[in-house]
Amino acid sequence: MPPAEKPKTACKLEYPVYVRLIVESDPTQAESLAAQVEGLLRADDGFALYDFHVTPDASNATIAFDALRTVQHTDPASPEHKESALTVNVKADSSVKSTETTLWSWVPLLEVRHNPGDAEDTATLAVFISQVIHRIFTEEQNTISYLLEETAFTSGRPIKQPSPEIKAELDAKKTRAFKYASTYHLTFSLFTSSALPASWDVEEALESTIQPLINRFSGISHFTVDTQVQLYASFSPSIAGPQYDDTSREWQLQRSDLSGFINAAEWPLSPGIGAGPTINFVLFVPSQDQSPLVIAENGGNSWLIPQWGGVQILNPAGKQPDKLTAHHLEPVMLTFADQLSTLLGLPSSPPSLALRIQSLTRERATSIIVSASSTLGALARLSLKLKSIAIPKSVANSVDETLHHLDQACRALHAGQFHKALENARTAEDEAEEAFFEPSMVGQVYFPDEHKVAVYVPLLGPMGVPLVMVLVKELRAFIKRLREKKSQKAKDE
Amino acid sequence: MPCQDGDEAVKRTLVAAPLADAVHTSNWAVLVSTSRFWFNYRHLANTLSLYRTVKRLGIPDNQIILMLPDDMACNPRNTFTGSVFNDKSRLLDLYDDKGALEHLGMGGIEVDYRGNEVTVENFIRLLTDRWPTSHPHSKRLMTGPQSNVLIYMTGHGGNEFLKFQDSEEISSFDLADAFAQMYEKKRYHELLFMIDTCQANTMYNAFYSPGVIATGSSAKDQSSYSHHADQDVGVAVIDRWTYFYLEFLETYLNSTASDVRLGELFDYQTYDRVHSDAGVRYDLFPGGELAAREKRVLDFFGNVQGVEIEDGLKSSQIDWKKDLEALQKLAAKVEGEQEDVEGVHDSPIATAAGKLNASGPKATLDMAHASDSFLKKIAGAASLVVLGGAWMASSALTKQAAIK
Repeated sequence: MPPAEKPKTACKLEYPVYVRLIVESDPTQAESLAAQVEGLLRADDGFALYDFHVTPDASNATIAFDALRTVQHTDPASPEHKESALTVNVKADSSVKSTETTLWSWVPLLEVRHNPGDAEDTATLAVFISQVIHRIFTEEQNTISYLLEETAFTSGRPIKQPSPEIKAELDAKKTRAFKYASTYHLTFSLFTSSALPASWDVEEALESTIQPLINRFSGISHFTVDTQVQLYASFSPSIAGPQYDDTSREWQLQRSDLSGFINAAEWPLSPGIGAGPTINFVLFVPSQDQSPLVIAENGGNSWLIPQWGGVQILNPAGKQPDKLTAHHLEPVMLTFADQLSTLLGLPSSPPSLALRIQSLTRERATSIIVSASSTLGALARLSLKLKSIAIPKSVANSVDETLHHLDQACRALHAGQFHKALENARTAEDEAEEAFFEPSMVGQVYFPDEHKVAVYVPLLGPMGVPLVMVLVKELRAFIKRLREKKSQKAKDE
Repeated sequence: MPCQDGDEAVKRTLVAAPLADAVHTSNWAVLVSTSRFWFNYRHLANTLSLYRTVKRLGIPDNQIILMLPDDMACNPRNTFTGSVFNDKSRLLDLYDDKGALEHLGMGGIEVDYRGNEVTVENFIRLLTDRWPTSHPHSKRLMTGPQSNVLIYMTGHGGNEFLKFQDSEEISSFDLADAFAQMYEKKRYHELLFMIDTCQANTMYNAFYSPGVIATGSSAKDQSSYSHHADQDVGVAVIDRWTYFYLEFLETYLNSTASDVRLGELFDYQTYDRVHSDAGVRYDLFPGGELAAREKRVLDFFGNVQGVEIEDGLKSSQIDWKKDLEALQKLAAKVEGEQEDVEGVHDSPIATAAGKLNASGPKATLDMAHASDSFLKKIAGAASLVVLGGAWMASSALTKQAAIK
């Protein structure tokens, strides 16, 4: 087997960030402003993991904006492609008092409007822009340092660790979000206590809310969507059930009931859809006589179950409708969209969706690189610990593949091709898992000595006895002959 | 030695990340009976009783792995065809599939491994998740770093072993290594190991992986006894230790809101009740005895999902609405461009998936190791020939000596 090329040095994780700077008000200023912003960002020691490149773009802003849109759709896998993380557009606007910024939600565009009347020099503006960019990357920077904490990737580098409060938040986020998978199955279920509502316009509702969102995530993972309706769904017998509250005239669910609200034994929520985790979204419509049903704690109607999904209670106004229309479902789906993004681990800031998805790409690539390496480590330790386990060649091949793809992922990260890095890291992870879970590496590894004796004695015993007996006989004969020879010699002499 | 250096490098660069110290998010149960035949009715009843309990407390069926080596309900000797009881009062039919309302049963039983599928190999494969790709997901233990796992085993055993189906046995060391592999791959957050067999406490002595609490029904050189027999069924219907576990769980865990601790559960198994020394091993658990005894029983026997009630969703809903509307508009605008781009966009994942499928058949089970075993056979035959030759030679020599 030809040995795969091995990385010479350990991977040093680094994230180049390309920022385009457009100064609409005064294109000549762009170059000096870009240099200053870049200098300020690089001097920031909180961002040891990032490598900021700020390039001036002298082209007309409107053209640039059109170009920006196409940036979104260029092939991320092409080798020359450098994903421009953010475009900053500086505009002059005499109506603003002090400098203002707007972050666009669906494209990574930061608009800075400053008053040309102000005697602001380039340096002040540069400080301002660098601070805004700093804020944009803070959460991602915290998450990545958290992911890399206590791994070998940070050894020898001073990486600022987030404060304990932020760490607790990140712990919670880690518990909440699903582990990365290349495919997620989304199941939307309608459970009703009675016969009504019997159907829902779920397709239309999904089309307008969930679909655009998962399209946006398609660069990171794939999604399948299933829906189901279940009538006469009863509460689990192990919860106390809703209690009527006279003062608010509502049926209330206690917090302790929420944790057992999902009736696992009877509601058909088994994720038998195939490889990849299932994210469940449950919409529960209580019967007319238990409506309105709310959570006692805050009067709300939705909650999130970490690494499982989201649950919502819908109390239709007035009579139970026969059918839930898209209008009923709109707020429901918006909550589900919010829950979905939380469950996928989407960062909560900055306010721009495009930037958050970019952050998620980098975070996911990092986390898979770390987990693939840790699987390799586990396999290595295992092979050292359980000496008698047989390791087939396919495992060695997979390990080589993993190392190769990890190396590629690392290179792609350095080149700023985050989608390519993610893709390589994913392959590395798959290969590492395949190596670890190799089906033939099973067997009883421990056999007590009594077993060995019991197995080998019946085989070797009958064979050994004559051999030993003959050996003894031969030895005696030999000694006898020796003695005879000696006595012969003695006689002769 | 370069090889040694490599190992060292691996050890250094790929340090095991510690198990997440956060809370668990899912519960799994592996319930195993290891003996078959009618006179072992009680072992299957034990297992089915535990099955009923964990299901009652909310663990979904796809997260319960049930291994039953025999079918007592349909055994020809069973006077109560289609039923299995764990008490002579016969108030509760463990094998009831009629639904929840009538008998407070659980609406069907999903046996994952039945009859001859209950083997040591399958059990170890289950724990380590080393299966051929064709193995169905519903029969796998798909746990992660935030899963709490309950393992219950019952059968006939002895000092440091448990017999599987009268034909093979699993040793304490095999189990310990399987748990170690689970730990390495972060396949559990906390693990509760329970075993009801003779000399059960010897089964957990070899364990060495952190995060495990282990408990057994009897000390070394002690037998575990059955609780009582039902004259109409004709055999013992339940073991003592399991009986008192169930008594405790039925009495004190009536809802998913019950706050009962593991310490209380373990203390319930006194010598007077069980007639043997039930043992608990705490030292592998982070925080030791104190922390382990403070764990909630429902952390292992139930599926209590953590819940995050959302506040202030109103404002974020508006944000989402704006975002999604914008996305829709954008999607509509660039639909034309997107058509031809989409294919490219999707390609990386598509190729990865294609690759997975392609590698599927290759990974199917190859236990025989054709070439290996062939070599071994040759070596064995050669050694036999050599030994035979030695024998012949020696006897020839003896004859010669005799002639002389």
